Amino acid sequence: MKNDDLSQLWNSQNENPEFEHPEAIVKRANKQRNKQFVSIAIMSTTVLVLVGYAAVYASSEWNAFNWGLLLMISSLSIRVFVEFLTMYIKENQLVLLDAKAFRAYLKKYYRLRLGVNYLLTPICFAVYIFGFVQLLPYFQEAFSEGFYIYLLVSGFGSITVIAFIVARTVIKEISYLKALNNQ
Amino acid sequence: MDIQDQFNEIYQDHALKVYRLCLGYAGGDEEQAKEWQQETFVKVWKHRKSFNGSSSVSTWIFRIAVNVCLSDLRKSKKKEHRVDDLAAAEEYVHEDGENTSQIEKMYQCINQLSENNKFLILMELEEIPQATIAETMGVKHGAIRTRLSRVRKALLKCIKNEK
Repeated sequence: MKNDDLSQLWNSQNENPEFEHPEAIVKRANKQRNKQFVSIAIMSTTVLVLVGYAAVYASSEWNAFNWGLLLMISSLSIRVFVEFLTMYIKENQLVLLDAKAFRAYLKKYYRLRLGVNYLLTPICFAVYIFGFVQLLPYFQEAFSEGFYIYLLVSGFGSITVIAFIVARTVIKEISYLKALNNQ
Repeated sequence: MDIQDQFNEIYQDHALKVYRLCLGYAGGDEEQAKEWQQETFVKVWKHRKSFNGSSSVSTWIFRIAVNVCLSDLRKSKKKEHRVDDLAAAEEYVHEDGENTSQIEKMYQCINQLSENNKFLILMELEEIPQATIAETMGVKHGAIRTRLSRVRKALLKCIKNEK
């Protein structure tokens, strides 16, 4: 086989695959952008409501329930905000950098993600669980025993599911970082 | 010409090359290649205002395509899967003809190259100018020719099953 045969062989593949129409691509891009705007709007509203809530009740009726709620929502908001921020920066780098520079950036990015995964995520997780536990006595007092058990099971159940998803993501990112470092 | 028409034109000019570049990187996995190709053009549209003209539009699009492929965490799994497919394909080849066999073998050999060399040879096979390849990959133009010739030789050797 000669050099030219290599190009010939490559060009002998099916030349007419069906692609999506460009209008559909634009539609999808706009949908992605709108979703991002909606997410940012929801997060900003959450933060504003939190600040407003704390400002109103901080001096008069502040109790463990308010405290628990604040811890849960703020730990979740901080973690989601960091996620969005890192994803936003990564996408901007993707369209700006050449392959060599982008690969170097990816190594830095996933090292930073390791820091987030090993430090920030467990802290947010612990604060979230602590906040949830603060709410339990109020739930127990306000609801029937059956509904209280349901809240306990669903609350800790969803925490376990989230922990599982986070662990899977961490494993995937570690193996990707290893692959990047080995290249 | 409005912005949508400009995008349509850019899409028509680059869609096939981007697809085949992604196809080579995905080890012949058409579904994965289409997904990466679409994601490339989604990003081209979303970030069209950030294109500052410091490189050609083609270079910018190929950079995005290469970076989209590079940053997909699922790629290793796809490749492992592809290797299994190839084992089956090699048996099938004897009945179906030499050409399919060689294309499959070619994908297998491309997969064995380093990430950089993989993209270099794929862009070369797509007849993308060497200056564009150099700018896309962040490599000096002068070094490209020698490197490509080395990669071509290695690929040929692999396809012919030489050690």
